[in-house]
Amino acid sequence: MTAVAELEHVSRRYHRGAETVVALDDVSLSLERAELVALVGPSGCGKSTTLNLLAGVDRADAGRVRLAGVDLAIASEAELVRLRRHHVGLVFQAFHLMPHLTVEENVALPLALAGRRDPGRVADLLARVGLTPRRRHFPSELSGGEQQRTAIARALVHHPEVVVADEPTGNLDSLTGAAILELMAELRREEGAALLLATHDDRIARAADRVLRMRDGRIVEG
Amino acid sequence: MVLKALLLRPVLRRPWRFLVTVVGVAAGVASVVSTVAASRAAVNAFAEGIEEVAGAARLELRREGGVPEDLLATLRPVTADAVVAPVVDDVTLLTELGDSVRVLGVDVLADRGVRPLLGSPLDARARLDAVLLDGAVLLPRGLAATLSVTAGDRITLSARGRPVRIGIAAVFDPPRAGSAWDRVVVMDVAFAQELLGTPGRLDRIELAPRPGVEAEALATRLRGLLPAGVEIARPSGRREAIEQMLASLRFNLTALSGISLLVGAVLVGTTLATSVVQRRWSLALARSLGASRVQLAGAVLAEAVAIGLAGGLLGVLAGQLGAHLAVTSVRATVAAVVRGVPASAVTLDPALLVGAVGLAVLTALAAAALPLVEVLRTPPLQGLRGEAPSHMTTRSVITALALAGVFAGSARVLVGLPAWHNLPLAALLAALLLMLVPLALVGPLVEGLARLGSPVMSRLGGTGARLAVAALATGRRRVAWAAGAVAVAVALAVAIVTLVTSFRATVVAWSEAGMRSDLWIRPLATATGVPVGRLDPALVQLCEQLFGREAVDPFYSTDLEFRGRTVTVAGAAFDVVQHWGGVPFPGRRSEDVFAEALARHGAVVNEPFARRFGVHAGDRIRFDLPGGPLEREVVGVFSDYSRSHGLVVMDRADWLPRFPGASPQQIALFLGPGADVALARRRLHEALDGRWLVDVLDNRELKREVLSAFDRTFAITTALYLVAATVAVVAVATVLLALVGERRRDVALLRSLGGSRLQVAAVVVWQAVLLGAAAAATGVVAGLAVGVVLVKVVNLQSFGWSLQLDWPWAHLLRLGVALAVACLAAGLAPALAASRLEPAEVLREDG
Repeated sequence: MTAVAELEHVSRRYHRGAETVVALDDVSLSLERAELVALVGPSGCGKSTTLNLLAGVDRADAGRVRLAGVDLAIASEAELVRLRRHHVGLVFQAFHLMPHLTVEENVALPLALAGRRDPGRVADLLARVGLTPRRRHFPSELSGGEQQRTAIARALVHHPEVVVADEPTGNLDSLTGAAILELMAELRREEGAALLLATHDDRIARAADRVLRMRDGRIVEG
Repeated sequence: MVLKALLLRPVLRRPWRFLVTVVGVAAGVASVVSTVAASRAAVNAFAEGIEEVAGAARLELRREGGVPEDLLATLRPVTADAVVAPVVDDVTLLTELGDSVRVLGVDVLADRGVRPLLGSPLDARARLDAVLLDGAVLLPRGLAATLSVTAGDRITLSARGRPVRIGIAAVFDPPRAGSAWDRVVVMDVAFAQELLGTPGRLDRIELAPRPGVEAEALATRLRGLLPAGVEIARPSGRREAIEQMLASLRFNLTALSGISLLVGAVLVGTTLATSVVQRRWSLALARSLGASRVQLAGAVLAEAVAIGLAGGLLGVLAGQLGAHLAVTSVRATVAAVVRGVPASAVTLDPALLVGAVGLAVLTALAAAALPLVEVLRTPPLQGLRGEAPSHMTTRSVITALALAGVFAGSARVLVGLPAWHNLPLAALLAALLLMLVPLALVGPLVEGLARLGSPVMSRLGGTGARLAVAALATGRRRVAWAAGAVAVAVALAVAIVTLVTSFRATVVAWSEAGMRSDLWIRPLATATGVPVGRLDPALVQLCEQLFGREAVDPFYSTDLEFRGRTVTVAGAAFDVVQHWGGVPFPGRRSEDVFAEALARHGAVVNEPFARRFGVHAGDRIRFDLPGGPLEREVVGVFSDYSRSHGLVVMDRADWLPRFPGASPQQIALFLGPGADVALARRRLHEALDGRWLVDVLDNRELKREVLSAFDRTFAITTALYLVAATVAVVAVATVLLALVGERRRDVALLRSLGGSRLQVAAVVVWQAVLLGAAAAATGVVAGLAVGVVLVKVVNLQSFGWSLQLDWPWAHLLRLGVALAVACLAAGLAPALAASRLEPAEVLREDG
């Protein structure tokens, strides 16, 4: 098996006034193709930071982060943009949809940013997440579950190798959350993308191929 | 605590937001203050001069065409009751100053007000001798300082085209401080008469009642002594006459200020609405934590008052500065209406200061009220979630369109109403309503862009343009405010350039058709291009000797009262004008009109006179003059854009006997086809032989002079571009910075999904461009409509000028470029701010 993304001895610190907060401390992990890995731990343990580093939206202070064969620590801004456009999909706990774009436009956004158009792919994904009838609606007109399904479709539309999902069911009721999780697992299998999922819900973690437990910025188990 | 949480702390934490709002208020107030202060400074110069320099005089005697000096003998019986002071009062050119000064000829022996000007009793005797025997002048200290001269030095006054070197007897401190004394030269009345060529004639006789004598009782005594035609008046009467002449100009300048105020108010509205909406979240949070609506309203309105006060004061200062820069241009305009303007400094009028600051506070409160109501009505939870994007409801669109329709329809009705006391009130109200149309339309326009423009914009500008359209639609309320401010500023600029372009085209056509003289002689002009004083009558004879009587057309004029208003009555050589033609009489040949006028001893009147008094060809007009009534038939009405008050012209053979010894204002020379104009000018200059200093212009120079005077007067249009561009920068930058601030999460998301910094910046710049385009589209349409109202209605009702409509395409192009540059510049800072956002940080903050 080949790792599509990996973190090697990665550390990340933030400065809050005079105080230095260690968000990640010597964390290593790797992600294989089509693998579902769950990061589990309490709030503030470093799950979101790990996801942000892997997605190329944040940079590590120490260690190496590799995505699609590129070391993100030394990658240029343009290279980071290219990696985000082509190799990573993002799903957030708060959905983070563009409020002024319709469902269809939100899903098509990563393609548009890369200068591509693929209406067939957008329509196909909308059908698979069950949102074809709602494609012209704005996010504010959707339920939480529908918003998250839109975010999932958006995360997959450009055929990324890695999808990172930060508490994707955190803002949903348990029934909807279970449905979303099932959908993600199904799409992961169909699309072949590796899925790194942050959660503090053990029931969700049980569906993963591997579970990594974090505490105080470290992986303590898995 | 609530004030601290909602007002003080946010201001301290983000002072730029408060400062930007203050600057917005200041910009609006400054535009109003500069217009009002500059026009006041120029217009008030006359009135102040009359009252200040008149001093103790309570009564004065005047007569059409001047008071004969021998009237002083008639007044001997009242010398026990009043100090009688003869006065010659005219303007002349002070060569060293390059500007006009007021020559005040007084009886230095009799006038009680003059003695103190001569200084200490020790020096007074010698100075008095210099004034009485040598014709020396007394100079106010301010003017002496400007010229760097003192007692014993000499100055050059150019009167009737003759330069005269005159000694300075003394430099005096004016009895009262005031700009009225800045441009006054005091001399003995006899020397003043000689200088100005009015021997035996006074402009007025002033009477200061002695202690214990009532002015009314004195007036009663005088009535029994005075011959017919001499009027007993108060000095303030002259102020009223001048104010009447300037009423239209002043009214229109004030109206222009009013429209500037509208621009300012909308700008204030934009900045304050943005400021309130930016704090929607914290206000909602405060409400959910238990703050009452009254507490929230108090905090927001307190901020509005603070912003109004700070912006008002800053605006007054900036406005005063602007007025200093604009006063020369306005003075030149005023000087064209009333001859001889003493300089007037722009002073800080306490009433204007209080009024402007009060206006700023009220505007700020009004501007804060609308968004405040919206915030208070929003349930706290919804406020915490932020503004949900939604389309305008059909009802809202219909309401906005209906409102625009009501404004436009009402304007259409108003332009059909007649002037009120010669003031175009209804038409200006119509212009104001048309200015409001863009405010009503920008909401639906932004909505239309969002709904219909998305596919088009995607094709035109790609994802950036599409996202920009969507983002603008989301913040539609704020965008509408900003677009409204820019649209009103654009409309104002377009309206004024439409008026100026039309006016200029009309003047060009009029000067081409009417200015046919080969040479034109006039008194020397001030730096602002206004000729000062009159010409020596001897110049007419000189020209007739050189070029023949049939080539010389002198133009004499005096101001007389007609139906209670001041008009100019002039004399010209009708036989000469008939031969050479060229005066534009709509629908008639110039030659025919003058032939008829000569045959019937008739007069011609200009269009403003005809319109103001409802006079037509065939009507008879009558003036009561000291030598008996002067009644003439009007044989023609000619187009005239050189003056807005009435002008009646009759043949010099009719005019001169009524005003013997009068000096011409200008002389036109017609040399005939094929004549060598340069040679003629050389001959004329040789004949002048340095005895006279006058301007001699050939036909081309005269037309150029007319147009350059026109362009100088309307240089204000350039300032309007600046106003429009400044409003655009402030409004667009304010709103876009607010939108970027609010949409930080969206920007971060865009970057997380693969958007480059350049793409993010492009989205913001696109927003600026679209906002500017939407504003410009509505502003240009409204501005052209207002321009038509100004050209066809306001101008006609104010000044009586029929103008041809000329669309200002070149100006529109220039304005478009200025606006595009301004919007792009305004978009740069927010674009930079957006592109610098770090996605990880923002997403971490937002969870």
